[in-house]
Amino acid sequence: MKFNFWYFSSLIVSLTVIIPILTVFSSFFEDTTNYFQILKQTFFLEYILNSIILLIGVIFLTFILGVGSAYLVSFYQFPGSNFFKWALILSFAVPPYIYAYSLFAFFENYGTAFTILKFLFGDGNYNKHIPKFSGMFGLILSISFSLYVYVYILARSSFLYQSQNLIELGKNLGFSKLKSFYSIILPAARPAIVAGLSLVAMETLAEFGAVDFFSVNTLTTGIYNAWITFDDLAFANRISFFLLLFIFILFLTENLSRKKAKYHTEVKGGFKKKEKTTLYGLKSFFAFLFCFILFLLSFLFPLSQMLYWTIKFPENFFDLDIIILLLNTLYLVSMSGIVLIIFALISNYGNRVSNRKILNVMSTLSISGYAIPGVILAIAFITFVAWFDNTFVKYFGFVSIKKLFIGSILGLIIVYFVRFYSLAFNGIKSGYEKINISVDESAYLLGYSKVKTFFNIHIPYLRNSLLFVVILISLEIIRELPITLILRPFNFETFATTAYISASEDLLEAAAVPSLCLIVIASFFILLTSKYILRINNE
Amino acid sequence: MNKNFLEVKNVNFQAGGVTKVKNVSFNIKNKGDIICLLGPSGVGKTTILRTIAGLEKLKAGTITLKDKLLSSSKDHVEPENRNISLSFQENSLFPHYTVEKNIYLGAESKKNNGKKKVNPKKIIKLLNINKILTKYPHQISAGEAQRAALARSLVTQPDLLLLDEPLSNVDQSFKEEIQVQLKKILKDLKITTIIVTHDSYEAFYLGSKCGLILGEKLKQFDDPYNVYHFPNSIEVVNFLNRGILIPAKVTGNNSLENDDLGLITGNFIKHYPNGSKVQLLLQPEDLEHDDDSNLKLEVVDRKFRGTNFIYTLKTTSKLLLPVAVHTHHKEQHEVNDKFGIKRPIHLEHIVCF
Repeated sequence: MKFNFWYFSSLIVSLTVIIPILTVFSSFFEDTTNYFQILKQTFFLEYILNSIILLIGVIFLTFILGVGSAYLVSFYQFPGSNFFKWALILSFAVPPYIYAYSLFAFFENYGTAFTILKFLFGDGNYNKHIPKFSGMFGLILSISFSLYVYVYILARSSFLYQSQNLIELGKNLGFSKLKSFYSIILPAARPAIVAGLSLVAMETLAEFGAVDFFSVNTLTTGIYNAWITFDDLAFANRISFFLLLFIFILFLTENLSRKKAKYHTEVKGGFKKKEKTTLYGLKSFFAFLFCFILFLLSFLFPLSQMLYWTIKFPENFFDLDIIILLLNTLYLVSMSGIVLIIFALISNYGNRVSNRKILNVMSTLSISGYAIPGVILAIAFITFVAWFDNTFVKYFGFVSIKKLFIGSILGLIIVYFVRFYSLAFNGIKSGYEKINISVDESAYLLGYSKVKTFFNIHIPYLRNSLLFVVILISLEIIRELPITLILRPFNFETFATTAYISASEDLLEAAAVPSLCLIVIASFFILLTSKYILRINNE
Repeated sequence: MNKNFLEVKNVNFQAGGVTKVKNVSFNIKNKGDIICLLGPSGVGKTTILRTIAGLEKLKAGTITLKDKLLSSSKDHVEPENRNISLSFQENSLFPHYTVEKNIYLGAESKKNNGKKKVNPKKIIKLLNINKILTKYPHQISAGEAQRAALARSLVTQPDLLLLDEPLSNVDQSFKEEIQVQLKKILKDLKITTIIVTHDSYEAFYLGSKCGLILGEKLKQFDDPYNVYHFPNSIEVVNFLNRGILIPAKVTGNNSLENDDLGLITGNFIKHYPNGSKVQLLLQPEDLEHDDDSNLKLEVVDRKFRGTNFIYTLKTTSKLLLPVAVHTHHKEQHEVNDKFGIKRPIHLEHIVCF
């Protein structure tokens, strides 16, 4: 059989992604220590219940915050509406665990809120009047304020593309604004909102840092604890299996919604710019207030808290080797970025020129990695490497490969690859979808080879998409915690792991500097990509 | 030896594994000839062009250009190695280059190495795209994009130029002018061309030969005059939609009879024995109007076609006949009027099936 390069490279990617999934599923049938029996009788139900409560709370709150803000900035003109349009996505720079640190620190006994009250009103017993945001409630708030952005971006993009005719039709039928909203605008944006909420749900189930910080027992922390506390990989994988079932349902929901996510058409010339309604008086004030409070709570609050601590405890700033952390982070970002981009380009181009169904199937399989929580991926990866090492490498008498993959940059990059491949693949795919296939054929007919067409026609055209993908990957890797925490080499830290370690040692003040650096760098990347994220060129 | 410039022999054209047109054979005799392929949408015209260009592979038959075998079930010369240019119906301009850069890429193509250079400026002027040269493909209209792509194809000076509905997006007011310019350019540069279109007038004007693709087959491949006046099948008549078929009985070597119209004389293009029952093709210009005639038919419709009115007349046996009358004719008829047909009816060509 003739060697098919596209087939071969897609196969490598698919196998890399599917290995952790298969590992989790196969581990389900393996023996575990008797801890699993103990767990089943004690905490297992609590893990599941907590995960469900968390999920419902976060979905409810992100729906209100995301859809509400998206509706206001898409349909109305009010003071600051143009600013909030992009400023509201900045909260993506604050991972839930950093939000959790801020929330806890602000409201704890003798925390920042206490200091402010004392500064304003003098000494007093304020602690008993300051609400405490910890446990499940604090967790729901932390995750929601960080993740509502998914719903905001998708809902806003759907609102933007809603045909002006549809809205005019509502007016023509004599609908009030409220009726137009829930009977026309909201149903038309439903698939996009469901897609956004599904992403939020998947991220919530995958969340590790904040859940761990607030000591809420969910399936994710259960997996980590099974590995760390009980040193039982099979046990960890068995809990992963249940979590994956949850995720699988969400993944299907998200995919089905995404397919329908475009009720609108994007025919050239068919997009009629919507006239935004200018709000006056109280309405304008409340719209501003909603967006401002959201921006304040989701971004300014954690930023200020971290900044405050950094200024208050400057020694932490000098104790930390920021340059090393930055270089480590950039090293991971660049290595992973290069590998991801190369494979995503090859796979996309392979699909384009080869047009084989099997390649399409493999691509779909390859992008499923984003749905799998980092904790599961990392632990499944360790399990697989250990199994491979014990089964094959030892059998043939070779040197153990564990060190090559576990606690190494290579292992980290492989697992990042599985987790973030969909970002790279889909980012490039959306760029490719804008190039008509007849453009390639025209190039061939002008005498261009396939390679020349790729480099001279595709790459220049995909430049912006590639840039976008690189920044998006960077953003994810900078914020990523569990994979880095589990698989990083000894003494190799990033801003995320440094913040986590300080926080887990109850040194929240020390977590402030790396957290602040992380927020600043992530904000910078978000601002760079905001144009693409918001698609403001269509406005 | 009298060799053809392009020879398509017993080819089954297929796209995506589905055979679109079967057992097609035609040829282009001389360099610089233009032929047109006509047919309804989706019949496989574009597939034919794509296969000749090398974008689709062949399972049966052969395609030879200038004595060189390009495609067969075993051989396939890649598109980049054929000196053939295809101008797509949809926008195929390189999206990240300006229109000008797109056109000059054609001029720089390796395919026109060693040839007498065509001046792109001349082509740009002829196709009236000077004003959009600095624009990007997404900033221009579909018609402009089509003309720009056409310019890019022309400047490559291919051995064979394939144009897929080249003027489908061009405004009607501008279309005729472009047709004239296009024909002139192709003739001046002696570029052998196959044009695919569904517009029969465009095909009749541009092509020295026309091929009609109907029902998975090349039904007729002939001069435009013959295609129009001597269609070789009922399918061709129906596709051209220029006349109707009425029942008649052959009464002699140059006559036949219809119950409503009476005796019809003329030159049969094919012999039928006396007494044969046939379907006679009547085209709008076949019947002549005569206000004084005693053969009167009822007007059921009147279409204004600029130079002519096309009247639709109902016979006693409820046949609907089209008749063209110059719009300057002194007496215009309305629906329900009686309309005289000149007798005896004499047809230049009698086409029967």
